[in-house]
Amino acid sequence: MHEKKVVEIRNLIKNYGSGGFQTKVLKGIDLAICENDFIAIMGPSGSGKTTLLNILSTIDKPTRGSVMLDGRDITRISNKELSKLRRDKIGFIFQDYNLLDTMTLQDNIALPLSLNGVSADICIRKTEELSEMFGLKEHLKKYPWQLSGGQKQRGAACRALITEPEIIFADEPTGALDSRAGRDMLECLRRVNESRNGTILMVTHDAFCASYAKDVYLLSDGLIRCRLSCGSDRKEFYDRIIEMQASMGGDFS
Amino acid sequence: MSMMRLAFLNFKNSFRNYLSLIVSLAFTILVFLNFQNLIYSNTFSVLGQRNKEYIHILIQVISIVLICFMFFFIWYSTNVFLTRRKKEIGVYIFMGLTNQKIGKLYAIETTLTGLSALAAGIVTGLTVSWLFQMVLLAISDIAVDIDFCITWQPVLFASVVYLIIYLIFVLKGYINILRSSVLEMISASRKNEFVRWKASVLIMKSLLGTAVTCTGYYMAVKDGGQEVMGNVLIAVVLVIAGTYLLFGGLIPFVFQNLVRNKKILYRKERSLWMNNLVFRIQKNYRTYAMVCILMLCSVTALATGFAMRTRYDNITRFRNTYTFQALSTKNDLDPLLKQKIEQSSELKYSSQIPLLVPDSSMFETKYQNIEYGIVSWSDVKKAAEDTGLKFELKEPADDELIELRHIYLLSLLTDRSGITVTINGKKYRQIDDCDEAYLGYFQEGMNLYVVNQREYERLLSLGQEIYTFNYRIQDMTQFENIRKNLNALTKSDGQDSTGMVAIDPHNSDIEWIRVLYSICIFMFMVFILASGSILFMKLYNDAFEEKGRYQVLKKLGFDRKTLKRAAAHELFVAYAAPFLLMAVSSYFSVHALAKMMFTSLLTTWLVSIAVILAFFLICYRLSVSIYQKNAGIR
Repeated sequence: MHEKKVVEIRNLIKNYGSGGFQTKVLKGIDLAICENDFIAIMGPSGSGKTTLLNILSTIDKPTRGSVMLDGRDITRISNKELSKLRRDKIGFIFQDYNLLDTMTLQDNIALPLSLNGVSADICIRKTEELSEMFGLKEHLKKYPWQLSGGQKQRGAACRALITEPEIIFADEPTGALDSRAGRDMLECLRRVNESRNGTILMVTHDAFCASYAKDVYLLSDGLIRCRLSCGSDRKEFYDRIIEMQASMGGDFS
Repeated sequence: MSMMRLAFLNFKNSFRNYLSLIVSLAFTILVFLNFQNLIYSNTFSVLGQRNKEYIHILIQVISIVLICFMFFFIWYSTNVFLTRRKKEIGVYIFMGLTNQKIGKLYAIETTLTGLSALAAGIVTGLTVSWLFQMVLLAISDIAVDIDFCITWQPVLFASVVYLIIYLIFVLKGYINILRSSVLEMISASRKNEFVRWKASVLIMKSLLGTAVTCTGYYMAVKDGGQEVMGNVLIAVVLVIAGTYLLFGGLIPFVFQNLVRNKKILYRKERSLWMNNLVFRIQKNYRTYAMVCILMLCSVTALATGFAMRTRYDNITRFRNTYTFQALSTKNDLDPLLKQKIEQSSELKYSSQIPLLVPDSSMFETKYQNIEYGIVSWSDVKKAAEDTGLKFELKEPADDELIELRHIYLLSLLTDRSGITVTINGKKYRQIDDCDEAYLGYFQEGMNLYVVNQREYERLLSLGQEIYTFNYRIQDMTQFENIRKNLNALTKSDGQDSTGMVAIDPHNSDIEWIRVLYSICIFMFMVFILASGSILFMKLYNDAFEEKGRYQVLKKLGFDRKTLKRAAAHELFVAYAAPFLLMAVSSYFSVHALAKMMFTSLLTTWLVSIAVILAFFLICYRLSVSIYQKNAGIR
C-alpha cells in the first residue's frame, strides 16, 4: 500500500556560526514521515534533536536541504504562509505545556479554533469531544494553576489536536511529568495515533517514552544512525532501545 | 562589587524600563516648579497688589492640589515599580543577600531614578518656564513683557517637596522588602493564581456603585441654598467611591459573564483579550478608576475656567453699563448733568429711574440685607428702551415682584423657586430675577425689587423716593475730565443731596479671574496628561508581563496580525472604560458648575470631551505600538 507522505526531509543540513567558526549540527538528514506514523527521535545531548524539531516546526531555517510539508517546501515559503501552515497543519505539544494562565482549560483548548474564526458551536463541541477522550471533561472550567502537570499536558495535547493537524510535533512531552502522568500522556498519544489516525513526531531522550512510538530514530552527531521499529511487544521494544542507546554511548539525559 | 556599584549597574541596565517612570515624575516636577515660579517671579505685579495677592493665593491652593497629586502619583508609580523590581531583585536571595541588603539595593536604585527624574524635571521646568508664563499670560489676555529669570527659591521648594514625598515611598518600599518573605519575593513573578470573583460580591458592588454614583450625580445637580456647597462635597466623595465600586464590580461582572458565555467568547480574538482583561481587572481596576477621576477633574477644571471667563466678561459688561451715575433727591438734574458731560464727550445712552428706598426693617427676606430698594416696572422698561438694554420682564401682579440682581462670580443659591419677600407686612411672590444692569452700580450694593406701577405708588409712603441718573459716555478718554466736572455737583445740605458714582472703565480689580481662567486650562492639560500617562505606564508594564504569553501564542503558530488585534482590543477597553464613565460623570459635574455660575457649559463639556478623546486616541495608538513592541509581537 502506498502511504501518503506527510513530511519529507531531504538532505537537511544546519550549521551555526559563520566563516571558519561554523558548527555543523545537522549533517544531512533524510526522513519521510507518513500518515499515521508515530515516530520518536532520540539522541544524546547535542545530537541535533531540538534543531531538527525547530526546523520541522518552522521556528528555525536550515542551511541546506528541504522539508516538504503538505506538498510545499517549508524552508522556502513566506512568513505569512508559514504562520498559516503552523496554524492549520501542525499541532504542538511542549515540554512545559504552555497553556495560557489567563484562561480556563476549555478556552485554552478552543483557542486555535476560535482564533481561526470557527463558529462557537463547533469550538464547544470539539473541546467537549477531545476532553472526553483525554479524561479532562470535568476539568474544563478550571484554570491551569488548578490542574496537575499531567492534566495540563493532556490539555495541551487537546489544544494541539483540535485543529485536526496533519502532524503533531511533541517536544519532550513527558519531560515535566512524574512517571504515572507521563504514562497516561503517552497512552493518550497512542490513542490519538491509533483511533484518530494522527501522525506524531516526538522528540525525547527517554527510552520508556520512545517505546510508545511505532518507530524510533536514533540521532547522533547530526546524522540518523539507526531506526528501530516496534514489534508486537512494547517491553521488548524498550529493551532494544536501551541496548542501542548503550551501544551508541553519549549522554541521553 | 559594592552595593552602590551593583545598584548603579542595575539602574543603568534597566534604564529603558525606568524611562516611563522618570518621564512621568519629571513632568510632575516640571508643572509644580512652574507654578512655584509664578509666585516668586514678578510677572503679575503689573496687575496691581490686590490682583497679585489673589493670584498668589490661587497658586498656593493649586500647589496644594499639585502636592496631593504628586503624592498619589509617586505612591502609585513607585508601587508599580516595586512589584516589578521585587521579582527581579528577588533572585539575589539565591546569592545569599539578606532582605536588608536587597532592600538597600532597591532603595539606592529607586533613589537614582528619583534623582534622575528630579534633574530632568528641574532642567526642563526651567527651560520651559518662560514659555509657560508667556502662554499663561497670552491665554489670560494680559500683555506684559516677561524676563527670563531663574530664581533659586522655586527650584529649592519644588525639589524639597518632591524629595520628601519620594523618599517616603522609597522608605516604604525598603520596609516592604524587609518584611517580605523569601517565597513572596521569588514567586512575585509567578503570582498568576487568578481567582474568579464571586458573582454575588460583584453584583453587590455593581449595585452599590451604581446607587452611590447616581446619588452623587443627584447631589451635584440638586438645587439648594447654602447647603449647595455641602452637597457638592458629598457629590465629589460619592462619585469617587462610586467610580471605584463600578470599576471593581460592574466591569468585572460584565466581562466575567461574557467570558462564561462561550458563544460570545469564541469569536476570533475575543477569547484572548477578554480573558486577559478579566484576568487583569483585579489588579487594574484601581488604575482605571484613578484615571477616570483624574479626567473628571480635568473636565471640571476646564469648565471652571470657561465659566470664570464668561463670568469675568459678564461682570465687566455689567459694571460698564454706565460710566457715571448720580443719585439725588431732586428729579430735575438731568439737563445739568447732560450738559456737563457733553462738554467733553457725546453720550452713548442715558436713563433715569426713580428709586424708593424704605427702611430695611420693613423687609423680610431669606438673607437680610442692609439696603433695599424698590423700582417700578414701567420705569425700568423705559430705562431699558432708553439704553437699549435687553428687557424681557413680565409685568408683575400686585402681589408679585422681580429681583434685580448683580452678577456673582459664583453662587451657591441654585434653588430660586418659591421665594417670597415681605414688604411692610405684605407678602410678595418673586416671579423672576434678572441680572441686566438697569441701575448699574446701585444694583451691586442693594437688594432691588421691581413691582408694578400701582404697587410702587402704594409703597411710596414707606420711604423716600430718590432719583438715579445714569450715563454712558462715548469717548472714554474723557473719563477723568468729566469725573472732575461732575464731582463739583456733589453736595449735601439740609434739603437736597446729590451723590456721584464714576465707574472707571480701566478698573482691573478682577483681573485675577482671567489668570484663573488660564490656570484652569493648564490644570485641565495637567490632569489629562497625568491620566494618559498613568494608563500608558500601566499598559507599558503590563506588556512585559504579557511577553511570555504572546511568545507561547507565536510558537503555536498564531500570526502577529491576530495577536496584534487581540492586544489592540484589550487596550481599547482599558482606555474606553474610564473615558465613558468620565463622560457621563463629567456631564453632571459641569452641569452643577453651570448652575452655580449661571452659564451654559454644554459646549465646554463637549469640547473638553472631544479634546480628551483626541488625546486618548493618540495615547491609545502609542500604547498599542509600544505594547506590541514590549510584548514582542510587533
